Order: sequence, then C-alpha cells, then structure tokens
Amino acid sequence: MSLDWLSAYLIYALFTVAGTIGLAQLLHLQMGLAGIGNFGIVGFFGLGMYAWGVFQVRIPWPEALGDWGTFFLSLLMAVIVSGLAGVLIGWVISDLEGDGVLVGTLGFASIMYWLALSEKRWTGGAEGMAVPDPLRTFNWGVKPMSLFWLGVMLLLVVGITYYVARVHRSPYGRLLIAVGQNEALARSLGKPTFRTKLILFALGSAGMGLIGAVFGVMNHFIRPTEIGIEVTLAAMVGLVMGGSARVWGAIVGVLLTAGLFDIVVQIYLPLPDSWYQITLPVVREIFFGAMLILVLLWRPLGLLGDMRRDKLVERLGSG
Amino acid sequence: MSLDVDRSDESPAPPFGKRVRELLETRTGRVGVWVALLAALVLLVAFWSLARKALIFGLAEEAPLALAAVGFALLYRLTGIINVAYAETVTLGAYFGMWFNTTFGWNFYLSLVPAALGSGVLSVITYFAFFRPAHRRNVGVVEVIILSFGLSIVLRYGLQLIFGHEQRYFKVPFQNPIKILGLGVPPFRVTALAGVVAGALILYWFIQKTRLGIQIRALAGDEKLAQVSGINPLAVTLLIWFIAGLAGGAAGAFYGVGASVRPLLGWSKFLYILLAVLVGGARGLRGVIVAGLGMGVLISGLTLAIKGQGLYSEILVVLLFIIILKLRGNRMSEAAKV
Repeated sequence: MSLDWLSAYLIYALFTVAGTIGLAQLLHLQMGLAGIGNFGIVGFFGLGMYAWGVFQVRIPWPEALGDWGTFFLSLLMAVIVSGLAGVLIGWVISDLEGDGVLVGTLGFASIMYWLALSEKRWTGGAEGMAVPDPLRTFNWGVKPMSLFWLGVMLLLVVGITYYVARVHRSPYGRLLIAVGQNEALARSLGKPTFRTKLILFALGSAGMGLIGAVFGVMNHFIRPTEIGIEVTLAAMVGLVMGGSARVWGAIVGVLLTAGLFDIVVQIYLPLPDSWYQITLPVVREIFFGAMLILVLLWRPLGLLGDMRRDKLVERLGSG
Repeated sequence: MSLDVDRSDESPAPPFGKRVRELLETRTGRVGVWVALLAALVLLVAFWSLARKALIFGLAEEAPLALAAVGFALLYRLTGIINVAYAETVTLGAYFGMWFNTTFGWNFYLSLVPAALGSGVLSVITYFAFFRPAHRRNVGVVEVIILSFGLSIVLRYGLQLIFGHEQRYFKVPFQNPIKILGLGVPPFRVTALAGVVAGALILYWFIQKTRLGIQIRALAGDEKLAQVSGINPLAVTLLIWFIAGLAGGAAGAFYGVGASVRPLLGWSKFLYILLAVLVGGARGLRGVIVAGLGMGVLISGLTLAIKGQGLYSEILVVLLFIIILKLRGNRMSEAAKV
C-alpha cells in the first residue's frame, strides 16, 4: 500500500484535529453537561505536556526501566500532576459563579504559561526543550513514528468518546446535567453538587493533561508557543459549533472548524506560499472567533441542537 | 460507572470562605486582623526603600489599570455582562491615540480625546451588533462570556493582521525626570497618574451623585421599575457602554504612551482588570479603584523584592487575588450593585 498521499503535514494536521476533538469532548462533560465554563483548557493541556517532558528528561530514572519504562512512568506522572491541578482549581472554582470560574481557569492557564517561560532550569524557558521519542529504538524512520502516535491519539479519542457516550446514558450523566441546569435544586434534592463538580473537573483535567503529553511526544519538542490561547479556542469553537449538549457535537464541530481549516484550506486550497508563515495562523484564529460569535447568535445549541433527552421529554409530554 | 450519591444525613460543612469570615468576626479573629495590620506597618517601615520604590513605580506604571477596571466594573455591575472583548476596547484606545498622535501630530493629551471617543463608539457598536441581539435571544450567561471571548479573538487577531506583531510607539518629547520621594519619575507618568485618578474619580462622582448616574443605577436595579418611572432603558444602556468604552480607551492610550502599542496590549492586562473588578467590586467603584492601584503597587513591589524574575511577581499576585476571591465566596453576587 502506498502511503505517499499521506504527507507529513497531513499526518500532523490529522493528529491536531484528533487531539482537539479529545479536548472538546472533555470540555463537553465540563461545560455542556455540568455547566462549568472552563477557559483554562490549555493550562491543563500544557501542564500535562510539560510534566511529561520534565519527568522524562530531567529525572534520573534508573537504567533498568529502559526507554518504555521511563516513558510510561513519566506519562503516568503527567496524568497525576494534571489531575491534582484539576482538584486544586476545581476546589477553587466549584462554588464560584461564571465570573469566578472564568478568572480562576484563565488565571491558571496564564500561570502555567509564565511558569513554562520562567522555570528555565526545568522547562528550557522560551527556547523550549527537546524530548525523546520512545520509538526511536526501533529505527522506523520519521513517518511510521508519527503514524504510530496518530494512531495512539485516535485510540485515545475513541476511548474518551465511548466514555462520554456511556456517561450520557448513565445516572451519573443525569446527575451532571442536573448540576449544570439547576445546581441549587440538585443540592436541595440531596445530590453532592460540589463533590460531583470537583471530581468531574479533576478527571477532565487529567484527560486534558494526557492529551497534552501525547502532543509533546509527537512534537519531539516542547515550547511555550504550543500552549497559547489558540488551543482553548479551537476546542471551545469546535464544541460550540457542533452542539455542547450532544455526544457527537465535539466531533462534528471540530471537523467543521479545525478539520476544515487545517486540512482542507491549508492543504488543498491553492494559496500563495508567503501566507503560510504569518497570515494563515492569524486568519485561522479570526475564522474561529467569528464562528463562535455566529453560532452563538444564530444557533446557540450548535448544529446538532438539543439534547436527545430533551426531545424525548418533549415528545412524551405532548403525546 | 457507579452512581455516587451521598445519602448520609449529616449537614454539609459550611463553605471554606464562610468559616474564615466567621473566624474573623470572633474576638481572636479581630485581634488577629489588627496584629496583621500592625505587622504590615512594621514591614513597610522596615523595608521603606523597597516600599517607596514599589509605591512610586507601581502607581506610575499601572495606574491605567484602575481606570480600565472602573470601566469594566461599570459594564459588569450595571449590565451583568462579562465582556472579554473589553480587552480590545483598551487596545483600540491605544491604537486610536497613537494614530492621531503620530499621523496628525497631535499632542498626547489632545490625542486622548479621539482615543477615548473611538473606543466609546466601538463599545456601543459591539453592544448593538452582538450583545443586544444575544440578550434578546436569551443567550445564557456562560454563552455570553464565550461570545465576547470570540469577539475579543476576532478583534485582536484582526489588529494583528492589519498592523502585524511589531510594537509601535507614541511620539512624545523627552522630558527630564522629576524627583518624588527621592526617585526619578518621568513627568509624563505623573500626569498620567493624575489623569487616571481624576478620570476614575469623575466617573465615581458621575455614577454616585448625578441624576443621570442615579438613573443608570436604577436601571441596573430593576429594569421594569426604571421603565415605568420614565427612564429610557436603551438610552441608559447605551450610555453605560459608551462610558465604559471611554474609560477603556483612555486607559489604553495611557498604557500605550507608558510602554508600547501592540495588538496584545489589552489582553495582557485583562486578567488583572478582571481580578481587580471581582475582588474590589464588592465594595463598589471605590473598591475597584483601590484594588486596581493596589495591584500595580503589589506587582512592582514583588518584582523589586524578587530580583530579575518579573514573572514570579505576577504569578504571586494572581494567586493572591484568586485566594481572596475564594475566601469571599459567593458574597460578591449578593453585594449591592456599584
């Protein structure tokens, strides 16, 4: 089978789109169901990426662990660290309102960015740090390696989506929806709303950290420019576009935004070469921002619309 | 997946912030507060040279924060909207001012007028184009924040597309520094500080004391009641957006002349504006002004104390303000408006 059509750029674009779907799915649980407007996605994503890199490169692991041992241990540490950060931030924001959540999550993302810049000894500062790929021992060459990580990311996204679909059909999902739609009512019915939000936020953050770590492996290089507001924006616009209350919302939305722009526009449209460096990334953000505005004004529930449950309730109510 | 519902009968523990407040109201708590204040005073005297620098530099450099925060607080408290795109109101003020200053050769103080007016008009336009339709379509609170976030992104990257990343500067004549408390400060910064404080106080007076200000607050308190008592809600809402834009634009011009004009200018200050408003806002506009100025002094003081690492001071200040917010809990929403 010839894989020539699969250029390095296309693989990377597919990888980015898949990762963004994963982030958007996790945001779907936090924002779409439980009503927590997380504006600090990139903070958890970046923490996972940097935590993995720092544990992988700066910790003198014993030789006996080998490449894969250190890799998996570092990955585990990255997930744990971002989960703990999720517990901390979740504790801060869970009993605050929209404004407090905005400032808490945005502040966390800023602090992560500043730490990545200032902790030069650990993170390499603005220049960033090179990180090893555990696949290098196989001598596969560059393309199979990136294909491998693309496959890992796809598996991860499928797993997250399966989990989200399960949550939708479970009592736990109903609890999340109750918390998101009327927290006071849920609490008065005896549901532990604070604890529910806290655990959900911690799990979501750990997942975002895991996605960030896999991004770090794929890039072979970790830089502060990777953890800008663009990551949060891409996940958010994808989710809002598709429909923040639906299981398929994140997938449809991200394919129509990041997928459309990063793959169709950047690869298949004949654009002048001079645009790629500076103009296109800026146009991408403008496009995403404009999409957010348009969707929220004209179709606030996203393309897929209401929750299935709501339609069902409506039908039962009228019939 | 297990359904994790707490069925125990125990009453939930009071929130963390409430427990702290209750502690502060006891006798030991009050004594503790006085001891802390006394300790702060002792520290101030002991580290006078540092405190002096922090006060002067902090006030001179970050004074526009207070003005920008007052504008944001007006918008937030009176219309209930958290407008992330307010950051770009600030940025555009800097660009408008720089444009008149460099292209038409206007004096800086004169160019403050188009800066403020331009941002004011822009603020009103964003209300008409985005926030009014959103309000009419009953878009939820979190969704409005996301909408304004999208608007902020469009404006910010639009500026980047037009002007590029490079920093631009106001053309202002060089002036000899003047000495205050033994430290040299450019006179420009001093007038900026005076202008900012005057602007913030005028806004405060306008909102609290004038007839129009009272109308504005009445509208915020109860829209229907305001309407039957003969207040035109649209006119008053427009006025709020316009005034918020004026304050943001002027703050942006002051920021721009103090350092440089760049597309990320407003966004880089937005977190501080938000924190100053949320933390100071419970005590009204005065609280916002104090929180804004205090934040500037704290940042520069910490920057001086932790030599060479500017970012730690910002991290510490953001953490400190978020902790204050957490301790206060939801009391914010119960607090009287402005």
